[in-house]
Amino acid sequence: MKDIFECKLLIVDDEPELLKMLDTILRREGFQRLVAAADCHAARRIFASERPEGVILDVSLPDGDGFSLLREFREKSAAPVLFLSARDEDENRLLGLGLGADDYMTKPFLPRELTLRLKAVLNRTYFPAALRQTAKPVFKLGETEIDLNSGTVSTKTGQLALTAKEFALLEKLYESHGHIVTGDSLCHAVWGDDLYGYENTLMVHIRRLREKIEPEPSAPQYLLTVRGLGYKLTGADGK
Amino acid sequence: MKSMMKILLRYVFSAAGIALILLVVNFTVLVVWTIQSTGIAQKDYSIAQFADGLTLENGVYTLSEPIRDTITTQYQWAMLIANDGGKVIWSLNLPGDVPRYYTVTDIASFSRWYLNDYPVTVWARSEGLFVLGREKGSVWKYSIEEQQTMMDNFLACIPAVLLLNGFIAVLLALLFGLRLFRSLKPLAKGIEDMAENRPVALSTKGLLGALASRINQTSDKLITQEAALKKRDDARTTWIAGVSHDIRTPLSIVMGYASQLEEDPELPPAKREQAGVIRSHSERIKALVSDLNLASKLEYDMQPLRKKTVSLAVLLRGVTAGFINGGLPNGYTIDIKINDNTQNFFVEGDEELLKRALSNLIGNSIKHNPDGCAIKVALQRDGMVCTLQVSDNGTGFRQDLLENLNTSQNPSELPNRGLGLTIVRQIIKVHGGTTACYNLPQGGGEAVLSLPGLAGKGG
Repeated sequence: MKDIFECKLLIVDDEPELLKMLDTILRREGFQRLVAAADCHAARRIFASERPEGVILDVSLPDGDGFSLLREFREKSAAPVLFLSARDEDENRLLGLGLGADDYMTKPFLPRELTLRLKAVLNRTYFPAALRQTAKPVFKLGETEIDLNSGTVSTKTGQLALTAKEFALLEKLYESHGHIVTGDSLCHAVWGDDLYGYENTLMVHIRRLREKIEPEPSAPQYLLTVRGLGYKLTGADGK
Repeated sequence: MKSMMKILLRYVFSAAGIALILLVVNFTVLVVWTIQSTGIAQKDYSIAQFADGLTLENGVYTLSEPIRDTITTQYQWAMLIANDGGKVIWSLNLPGDVPRYYTVTDIASFSRWYLNDYPVTVWARSEGLFVLGREKGSVWKYSIEEQQTMMDNFLACIPAVLLLNGFIAVLLALLFGLRLFRSLKPLAKGIEDMAENRPVALSTKGLLGALASRINQTSDKLITQEAALKKRDDARTTWIAGVSHDIRTPLSIVMGYASQLEEDPELPPAKREQAGVIRSHSERIKALVSDLNLASKLEYDMQPLRKKTVSLAVLLRGVTAGFINGGLPNGYTIDIKINDNTQNFFVEGDEELLKRALSNLIGNSIKHNPDGCAIKVALQRDGMVCTLQVSDNGTGFRQDLLENLNTSQNPSELPNRGLGLTIVRQIIKVHGGTTACYNLPQGGGEAVLSLPGLAGKGG
């Protein structure tokens, strides 16, 4: 298999119009090998004969439910299963995921979200290396280059090492750079606890981090404070 | 049971009170009566005055005129018995059946007593005994004779007797009260059970049997009604869940094709824009359907709550950051103010639902102020209650909606618009809190959520 578009997909849903639409969406996206079933009986038969590499499964079917179908499929194959259900109860979602479904989406859905999730599931299953990033990011804040592999900050004047806490903070901030990261999330990432009781410690570490990455730590340009909420890393230029 | 004890105590006290009041009344009546009857007897003259009214002059007895009148009108007759010989030496209106001669024995036997059934009173004069007689049967006489010691003790005994009476009254009241209490106790328990919707089956024997059987009937009726109501509510919730389930598949198809058309580069931009409108309105229907489903489940307690310890400060920061990170449209700002004393305030709640409530409020401010507004989110604490305020400087709440929001006890009575706020109210209600909405004097609206804190945590 060269890429995920070669995967044979089985779509199970009792609504013919929806099957037709899913077929259109997936073909347009690039998937060519598609089979469909409208009930459990047909799904079992096709699953056994076609051996699909991925399944999109409805929960409510005329002759049974998707959950038991998933259990049967799991006994025969490790093909990823994505639930597409009209039941939105969290219970059902948890049940589906608990049974080993790879994802759970509720109807109605946007086609783009479906294809993105499906691709992610297939990638995870068949091309895990593609996602397993061994290399951590290296990025620039203005003239300063930060390498999260070595945990170093390089400026014109020289190189500085980040402490473990500074590293954890910066990594968390970079993960969602351009967005606010609440103090609580930062504390969870670094100390595994809520902000309460850590405000001052967090401030001290942020100040030290600024001293390393900001050209002018007292007037930060990249690591900004968002009053009342947390911090935001901006202007990061990834490589 | 506490109220029953109260009733019993009051019963005993009132019995004691009644006994006391009766005693006082009786005593007063006795005193008044005694005084009045003495008044009648001594209205005009004492026997001594009568006796002195008789004067002897030159061997002839003369009775003064007023005394004579009094004797004639109020008494019946009078006589004077001579010391020597016992002969009647003067008399007035003396009836025929009264003897004219008396021996010492005669005098001893009628003195202060009856003479031929005439009640008489006597007074000793120097020459003889003055006797005043009344009509037969007009006076009742009785001689009292008691041991001296007995009479000495009598005064001391009065308070003791009164005390004893009071004590017996209270004791009897207590006994009768206890009996009543014991027969009422199962009834009280039955009524308590009924109030808490537990089935009641009281014994229908005894004095209060009829009452007990009515209570049993009422309880049966209540339970049947409760079951019927629950059945109806369940049916309604299931129905709404069913409709919202069934609408999802057709809506998927609408949304799916609309979305594809929207992204189809072969279509002219105007058509793609139209498809986009269909898509975005389908998404609104989707939100409405899931809101309706959640609202109906919350209303009938069918939404499972996944409760855990939630820090409101963390939740508030998270939701606010989410709104800002999600890209606030131009013209909107969110300002957050978290009071320091709320940092370690926790509530026992369903985090997802509480997030939903807060998101709904912020989302409402954005939705109802299309030209932008400044939103303020604040968290304060007062004792074990936290208040979460979401306010904006926009157009505020519609007046009719506002009145309904704050007065209606039942969220389902709210107008069908604005399910968002209904859900907020319901979520806060299932968490034991309250919701209040205002329009601010300087313009804009404010929603205040109050939530009780977790006892024993974060004090």
